[in-house]
Amino acid sequence: MNELLAMPREWLSAAGEIGRFMGTVLSDVFGARVLRFSGETLRQAGILIISSTLIIWALMFVLGLECGIEGAYFLEAQGAPAYSGVFAAWCDLREIIPYAFGYMLAAKVGTGIVAELGAMRISDEIDALEVMGVDSMVFLCATRLLGSWLVLPFVYIAGIGGAFLASYIAVVQQVGVVSSGGFELIFWEFQNPTDFLFSLTKAMVMATVIVLVGCYYGYNASGGPVGVGTATAKSMVLNLVLVHLIGMMGTQIFWGQSPKAPIGG
Amino acid sequence: MATVEQQFEWHSGKNRSAGVPDAIEFIDVYKSFGSNKVLQGLNMGLPEGMISMILGPSGTGKSVCIKHIVGLLYPDSGDVVVHGQSVPSLSDAELFEFRRQFGVLFQDGALFGSLNLYDNVAFPLRQHTEKGEEEIAEIVNRRLREVGLGDAGQKMPNELSGGMRKRAGFARALVLDPQIVLFDEPDSGLDPVRTALLCELIKEIHAENGGTYVVITHDIMSARRVAEYIAVLWRGRIVEAGLAQDLFDSENPFVKQFLSGESAGPLGME
Ligand SMILES: Nc1ncnc2c1ncn2[C@@H]1O[C@H](COP(=O)(O)OP(=O)(O)OP(=O)(O)O)[C@@H](O)[C@H]1O
Ligand SMILES: [Mg+2]
Repeated sequence: MNELLAMPREWLSAAGEIGRFMGTVLSDVFGARVLRFSGETLRQAGILIISSTLIIWALMFVLGLECGIEGAYFLEAQGAPAYSGVFAAWCDLREIIPYAFGYMLAAKVGTGIVAELGAMRISDEIDALEVMGVDSMVFLCATRLLGSWLVLPFVYIAGIGGAFLASYIAVVQQVGVVSSGGFELIFWEFQNPTDFLFSLTKAMVMATVIVLVGCYYGYNASGGPVGVGTATAKSMVLNLVLVHLIGMMGTQIFWGQSPKAPIGG
Repeated sequence: MATVEQQFEWHSGKNRSAGVPDAIEFIDVYKSFGSNKVLQGLNMGLPEGMISMILGPSGTGKSVCIKHIVGLLYPDSGDVVVHGQSVPSLSDAELFEFRRQFGVLFQDGALFGSLNLYDNVAFPLRQHTEKGEEEIAEIVNRRLREVGLGDAGQKMPNELSGGMRKRAGFARALVLDPQIVLFDEPDSGLDPVRTALLCELIKEIHAENGGTYVVITHDIMSARRVAEYIAVLWRGRIVEAGLAQDLFDSENPFVKQFLSGESAGPLGME
């Protein structure tokens, strides 16, 4: 019995620790302590742009195509091809695109942070920072969070544009069941700027959590190179779980009561 | 399991005073990681202005000692005092200020992998001083030349050999003219000639800049070359400490065995 309880107890204490860590980093950002390292923040933002933007857009684009194709064929079979735009609009903006963004961010940015900070931890670089009188949590974690806040909203917005374009291409050009005007009419009718803001919010909450989880596992890595590998895997698992939790809760909160299509029951 | 008396049979704890005040003092320090008791009532003083060496077998907690001195680890009980200040009782803000008097060379150099050598050495200057790039360049290049890396400034740490990384870490540790410099095994993983050269370097730079140096090692040759004061650490306590010559003449069986590197004696494989 005791062993059975040991596992959840361990998870609980880990959750508490991660929560505290996240709180500290967030307060470093909001308390403006991070501004002492604005150079490092911009450097991190730059790294994010150069190394991760294209791959995120690529996944979003492919999934936009897919939403378009599926919607078009499915609705054609039901005799309502003109409504392909609905499927594309919702599939893109509400669900698939935020998830695609979350997945790629977790895979590319989250694990990257764990590997980087973990390597710094096991080679005493973080201790070296501390000894040089630099607050390593602020220097390493808060700068990465702020850097990603500076960059990721734009990456996401541009990615949505790409996904919409992809759906349009799929429905209108490839499957060719609706005219361009017909698609657009329905497509825009079934969404509004608030939807767009909700979607952006969902994605940014995911981004924040992914970066913080990555920082936590990297910053607290131990046990040599193997330990860093294990921490990377753990962070990926946790991030995928959290991405889905956030996606689900976001949909319930933002669109559950929507008069256009209440899915909250 | 050996009884407490057996474990500490050879620990006379004898401390032959060096005749100068201590810069760093450990007072009855205990520290465990889980069930692993690392420091078990450590009492140690390291004299001001000298090159002290902490000698001891692998895994006795030498690196743990260094981390206590700069407040990266806190004792479970006992106190660590540096220049009269109790380290565990410093607040976070005070601690960051306090650490500026130190230069620390970590066991593997701990250079920042994302910065080249020049930027690594310039890092503390850029963080803590208002110096312009020109002045920084002058200081950094001088320090790099001093450790024989004058033209390696543009290299990345992963392009360097272990010895070069250590020397670069040395340059970085010295760049803010610290009053206390801590070296964690500057000689491990180096060939005998490089070790000798590095020891010379430590001595030269100490002679030039002064300050309190604490060098951790388990290499007796290095100890013979540079130590002015020696503390022998084993099982989390001092076996004996004193001026280097006194320790080399010590009659204590453990100290004798360790300083002559013999296999027969109190220290086994355990
Ligand atoms: N952060 C830590 N968490 C858990 N255990 C630790 C930690 N740091 C050190 N230890 C343990 O403390 C003991 C002493 O470690 P330490 O690194 O101080 O040895 P050392 O004397 O420096 O050895 P070496 O000469 O091999 O470097 C080891 O058993 C080590 O596993
Ligand atoms: Mg060590």
